[in-house]
Amino acid sequence: MKDLVNFFHQVGKLKDMPRRGWVINDIKNPESIAEHIFRASLMVWILGSKKKLNIERVLKMALIHDLCEIYAGDTTPYDSILPKNHKKRKEFMKTWPRFSDKEKKRLSEKKHKKEKIALEKLLKNLPRELSSEIKHLWYDYEKGLTKEGRFFKQTDRLENFLQAMEYWKKYKKPPQGPWWEWAREFFDDPVSLEFVEEMAKKFHHKIKPRA
Amino acid sequence: MDEKKFYLTKQKLAELEKEHKKMLAFEKNKATGEEAPKIFESEDINPEFISFQEDMIFLRSRIKELENILANYELIKNPTKENKNIVNLGAKVLLEIDGQKDQFIITGTLEANPSLGKISNESPVGKALMGHKIGDEVVVSSPIKTTYKIKNIKYEIS
Repeated sequence: MKDLVNFFHQVGKLKDMPRRGWVINDIKNPESIAEHIFRASLMVWILGSKKKLNIERVLKMALIHDLCEIYAGDTTPYDSILPKNHKKRKEFMKTWPRFSDKEKKRLSEKKHKKEKIALEKLLKNLPRELSSEIKHLWYDYEKGLTKEGRFFKQTDRLENFLQAMEYWKKYKKPPQGPWWEWAREFFDDPVSLEFVEEMAKKFHHKIKPRA
Repeated sequence: MDEKKFYLTKQKLAELEKEHKKMLAFEKNKATGEEAPKIFESEDINPEFISFQEDMIFLRSRIKELENILANYELIKNPTKENKNIVNLGAKVLLEIDGQKDQFIITGTLEANPSLGKISNESPVGKALMGHKIGDEVVVSSPIKTTYKIKNIKYEIS
């Protein structure tokens, strides 16, 4: 029980960790990683019921998918290129970052390695069976090994996208162009696409396309 | 299981077939109580993580998943000579996106990984690019307009 108390104590830190994507956009009182996990879990349960998914598996996956961030921290696609100068940074956020194939591979491997080490550190004193289950679920989410893993990857980003829209509506940031550019390349699941279409209607019904 | 069609490269198909074979062997060994062989050597399955000593549920769901894919796949093939300059599955497309350069490979949903530049043919951008040729400007504008100018198309399907 001592190891479980320590584990849950560490997990609790996610309640106080703001999501980095909002911090770099100067969002006031940004949501925590735990808050993102909460809504992503609810979304995958409800949206996942439109598909033939193992809901218990996908819910567990949602609950554990960002545990590695306790030690690895949260990352964004902008991290490797973000200027320290505040004014320049704001300019950067108006464009979706594009990288060479080599750089895409390097960034993706670096993130995966860092998170894997962090997860192993967090789980090392847990009972072997539990630790193994959490690792498999995370690995499935990372690599999309099952339909649950693939659908949750979409839902995780869908929650993130919805939050971006909500902040944009409230604070007029983060800039919407890069988010839509990314979303139309990322989402390919029919349920996610239907959700995105509804979001466009809800948040952009008065917006004219950029000239 | 749903009967969605999975578009696969030859390389991915070989990887999945190998993995399926090894998983079945492992499941059989596990059932007869024999010691687990070292089975996961492919790049997709990390041997450090997937020991499967405890997680038979994951093993079975992965086997089920692989069987569904192997029963419902279609191989991505090189296009005919006259279609080589048209975007289709397997195409490596060099683009200028609102002034920035990027390169995508158009894949099926299973191999899609946008952070590695692998864009699904079922995503709005993947779908919009399909059927276009070098020099075309593809505009995706729902709700914010982005222009994808096709600079080059290559096929490197083994």
